[in-house]
Amino acid sequence: MSDIIVKAENLTKKFKNFTAVDSISFEIAQGECFGFLGPNGAGKTTTVKMIHCVSPITSGVIMVDGLPSNIDNRAIKKMVGVIPQETNLDVDLTVYENLLVFAEFFDIKGVEAKKRINELLKFVELDGKSKNKIDELSTGMKRRLLIARALINKPKIIIADEPTTGLDPQARHLIWQRLRQLKNSGVTMILTTQYMEEAEQLCDRLMIMHKGKILEEGIPVSLIEKEIGRDVIEIRISEEKDKMILDTLNGINFESERVGDTLYIYCRDGSDAVKKIINLNLPKVLHRPASLEDVFLKLTGRSLIE
Amino acid sequence: MNLSYRIYYFWKRNLISYKRFIVPTLLVSMGEPLFYLITFGIGLGAYMGLFGGKAYINYLAPGMIITSVMLSSTFECLYGSFVRMVHEKLYDSLIVTPMSAEDAVAGDIVWGIFRGMISGVLMLVVAVFLGAIQINILNLVILLAVMILVGFLFGSLAMIITSFAPNFDFFNYYTELFITPMFFFSGVFFPLDTMPAWVKTFALFLPLTHGVVIVRSILSNLYPVTLLYNLAALIIPGVIFFSIALKLMKRRLIK
Repeated sequence: MSDIIVKAENLTKKFKNFTAVDSISFEIAQGECFGFLGPNGAGKTTTVKMIHCVSPITSGVIMVDGLPSNIDNRAIKKMVGVIPQETNLDVDLTVYENLLVFAEFFDIKGVEAKKRINELLKFVELDGKSKNKIDELSTGMKRRLLIARALINKPKIIIADEPTTGLDPQARHLIWQRLRQLKNSGVTMILTTQYMEEAEQLCDRLMIMHKGKILEEGIPVSLIEKEIGRDVIEIRISEEKDKMILDTLNGINFESERVGDTLYIYCRDGSDAVKKIINLNLPKVLHRPASLEDVFLKLTGRSLIE
Repeated sequence: MNLSYRIYYFWKRNLISYKRFIVPTLLVSMGEPLFYLITFGIGLGAYMGLFGGKAYINYLAPGMIITSVMLSSTFECLYGSFVRMVHEKLYDSLIVTPMSAEDAVAGDIVWGIFRGMISGVLMLVVAVFLGAIQINILNLVILLAVMILVGFLFGSLAMIITSFAPNFDFFNYYTELFITPMFFFSGVFFPLDTMPAWVKTFALFLPLTHGVVIVRSILSNLYPVTLLYNLAALIIPGVIFFSIALKLMKRRLIK
């Protein structure tokens, strides 16, 4: 692995009696896109906030580009760009002023600030909106402006905390395009998401978190291979037929799971199983490749997490 | 405490945002002093005879100037800061930049001082125009300095309230139970000499009293040494409230 830019050891975060992040360790290499996946409350955002110095660490250490992360480390904040989960644009200011004020917070002023703002507005396709107020932007435009704002300091590390939550497909794909473009330019990217498709689109490596702990870590494709196999067969059928179906598959290497009205069959190679199941002539059968979502649900459980 | 020159950036951000509201807010700031000085000073004053050899409006104007600073700084650091923190999430977006939470809060208090001074100076202009006070270079400079101190003290105090306010309604307790009584018991409208001793003692604990004493004295071109004591009564609590405000706000902003 190339140079390590973020390294966490036994990182723990406690809020009173609640442990949000429970002694986790991980490494992020320079130039990669690293994803934190997990259901709500898994500790993803808290972990990321400790990386970019806005949440105090209870115990453990994070080193960011050789510097220890802590709440007042302005040097780390200076090299990180954050696309927050919540749209916290400055509603009292115009699009242009939003970037101008933010540039100044990073000590970027005058001609240099103007040049960067114009470049960034083009990059996120908002150059026609510079005089608009924030209220006049669509949700997708606001997200794009947040990206431009996060890039104002030419960050070494970009942190995107659920960057496409609540967006329509067009807006989401535009954002993925831009994030990939940034990654290709050599920036390190740290992404938190609950969308598996997003993780598959963007991440080189990822970590699945649940209740403050790391469940799995690795490259998306090999995680799917390892946890699920290659094929998934979904059969929507009542439970009493399970035994009959599973008996038919005798001799094939597979795993099965019953969730609500559906029987899931996971296998390394689904072709034989599919043939046998087709012969049963069941009404609702779906054969599809295994996805990260299957891994996620298998590891974090299918019950609702609130 | 982690303060830096970035305080100025936050002040400037507020100034850019304020540009849009400058005409309406100036009209409001202008209207209020005129209202008080005309109704109380001229209207009520006509029935009151002389106050220490002067018309009532001359007695009233110095206290009104400093009161308007108190009110503006207070409201800015209550409602203004609360909106910026809770509704606009402005602080959340700031603390990911090299700005610290303390920089941001201090910048907002400095902004409160600035808003207080705008009101105070407008009141001053109106008072001069109505012939209620006479200024010269010396008392003008001191007056501006006292405005800063009063804005600093009340801005910081308001920020302490904001740091644990759950919602807007909470501010009513502070303004109704603390700021309004302060307005009436600090010798703005009438001298406290005739009041019972306990009221006089009580008034000494109200920071506004000391602001009023200083301003009234210097606008009469009197500079007794006891003014230093009044100055200390503004500065010392101001610094204490300021550091408490930073600490409590940081606790609310950073989790």
